Amino acid sequence: MTHVAPAERSTRSPAQVETITVSRYASLKGVAVTIVNLAVFFLLWELIARAGLINELFFPRASEMFAAMYNGFADGTILPEIWHSLSNFLIGLAISIVIGIPVGLLMGASRVADLILSPYVWAMASLPRVALIPLLILIMGFDNSMQLTIIVLSAVFPIMVNCMAGVKTVDPSLLRAGRVFGTSRVQTYSKIIFPFTLPFVISGVNQGIARGLVGMLIGELLGGGGSGLGFLLDRAGDQFDAPMLYAVLILLAVMSVGLIQSMRWLEQRAAPWRDTLRT
Amino acid sequence: MVHVGSHETDRPAKEHANTAGSTLIEVAEVNAGYDNQRERTRLIALRDISLKVTQGEFLAIVGPSGCGKTTLINMIAGFVKPLSGVVKVRGVPVDGPGADRAMVFQDYALLPWRTVERNVEFAIENRRGHVPKPERRARIANALQLVGLAGFEKSYPHELSGGMRQRVGIARALVGEPEILLMDEPFGAVDAMTREAMQAELEKIIAETRQTVVFITHSIDEAITLGDRIVVVSSRPGTIREIIDIDLPRPRFDERNDIKRSARFGEIRSHLWKLLSDEALGAKWGSVARQEGETA
Ligand SMILES: Nc1ncnc2c1ncn2[C@@H]1O[C@H](COP(=O)(O)OP(=O)(O)OP(=O)(O)O)[C@@H](O)[C@H]1O
Ligand SMILES: [Mg+2]
Repeated sequence: MTHVAPAERSTRSPAQVETITVSRYASLKGVAVTIVNLAVFFLLWELIARAGLINELFFPRASEMFAAMYNGFADGTILPEIWHSLSNFLIGLAISIVIGIPVGLLMGASRVADLILSPYVWAMASLPRVALIPLLILIMGFDNSMQLTIIVLSAVFPIMVNCMAGVKTVDPSLLRAGRVFGTSRVQTYSKIIFPFTLPFVISGVNQGIARGLVGMLIGELLGGGGSGLGFLLDRAGDQFDAPMLYAVLILLAVMSVGLIQSMRWLEQRAAPWRDTLRT
Repeated sequence: MVHVGSHETDRPAKEHANTAGSTLIEVAEVNAGYDNQRERTRLIALRDISLKVTQGEFLAIVGPSGCGKTTLINMIAGFVKPLSGVVKVRGVPVDGPGADRAMVFQDYALLPWRTVERNVEFAIENRRGHVPKPERRARIANALQLVGLAGFEKSYPHELSGGMRQRVGIARALVGEPEILLMDEPFGAVDAMTREAMQAELEKIIAETRQTVVFITHSIDEAITLGDRIVVVSSRPGTIREIIDIDLPRPRFDERNDIKRSARFGEIRSHLWKLLSDEALGAKWGSVARQEGETA
């Protein structure tokens, strides 16, 4: 019987790894497709509106929408409102993250904390956010803090619940490996539980963003604060200014997509080991 | 039937053991089981297990699937507490895992966010003063060389085949040179040729380091080629059916002399085969009734 040294058998050999060429235009292709796609969309929009099939009062031409958007930016009615909404939203999200992650981790790690907090967390996570508006107005009036509060209340619970789920689903055999190889309590958290939970945290923040945007709009539409994209939307509606209405909607869509896509990008950076799930 | 030695568990050390050793691991009258809170039942996984492992010994454990082998090795590792009885290492009752014992897990248990080399490093970075930092690189490279994974240091577990992942788990257990190696089907996912090469490698390492090994396997041949003794566990609930001395000379992996062709190997093999096929049939026909009897 002959033995082949294992080291020789399965060492990565030059023959196994080949260099491959990736087209330089591969990433541009996706961008090009999107541009063409959008161009066709707006063109169709323009044509359908021009055909006059739908009442112009609530279906303006794409060109009118763009004109309204351009004018809004030019005369300074849009930009401050975008800034107001975006900064409100980002502050609210930051507060939600700072509160949501530790509390979620605590609920996942401690049975007692979970037992005490979970009825409230689940109740708040499930309650439709709009229901809170009258109470918040009662407490805080039409102040900006009311708008911030609704964003935080919208975003914080999905973050919390996801963090908790992450900690609770840590693979028990990884915890065993930790014990065998001598992790201290702190190391168990820093080397096993946190890395395992990270993707959950990120998807929690993703949901938090989606819900937070809704919260932001509700606050601005119903809160009567007189600023923000929601306010622009409300005013355009009141004034039967359909082009402006559509322009704000498009801006909101761009903002949401931008936020969610940047989280996606972060998610892929933060958890490269989840590669297989993507491809 | 050929005679194959079958002995009491507390039999004195045998002359062919690596070191004529004192008892290192002692399992005394242990019962183990798992509680099912929902159904308010307790599954008895192991019943009345007594067993001693001497210093430097290679103990192989075989038995049908679900008979409690992993439970037994987990008790020695310190994850699972016996319902009654005691597990001692060097005379001290086991109370959780320790630096003297490393384990190869049946399900690999690799950290998916760490590369191969960082996974191996995990074994020597947590305990203070375990392995000094400058020494780690060389130790890791050596361990990966041993399991044939040189060149894959920067790969992530998900980029490896099942057998390769398993070998990362083996390198991780070896790198700290623990006194006791607990291996739960370490070569289960490895192909036959690599498996044999790794068995030879393991024998060589053990001869050098004189580590004590508890080794679970489903392969009769593997148990005979590697073990000083083989514990045959019968199932539902797991009890020790027989402990067999393997009095084959070492080294067992010898190019000129294939141990598997020897008459003695054949005798032990057919004896084990018979024991285990009895077990398999018994498990098939008797399991349902016995299982119901055991859960109370
Ligand atoms: N965590 C657990 N909770 C409940 N029951 C368990 C648990 N782990 C094992 N068991 C039960 O204990 C018995 C023994 O399991 P164990 O994993 O020790 O078997 P094994 O001999 O290692 O099997 P295999 O060869 O398939 O790995 C089985 O009947 C199994 O269902
Ligand atoms: Mg097992």
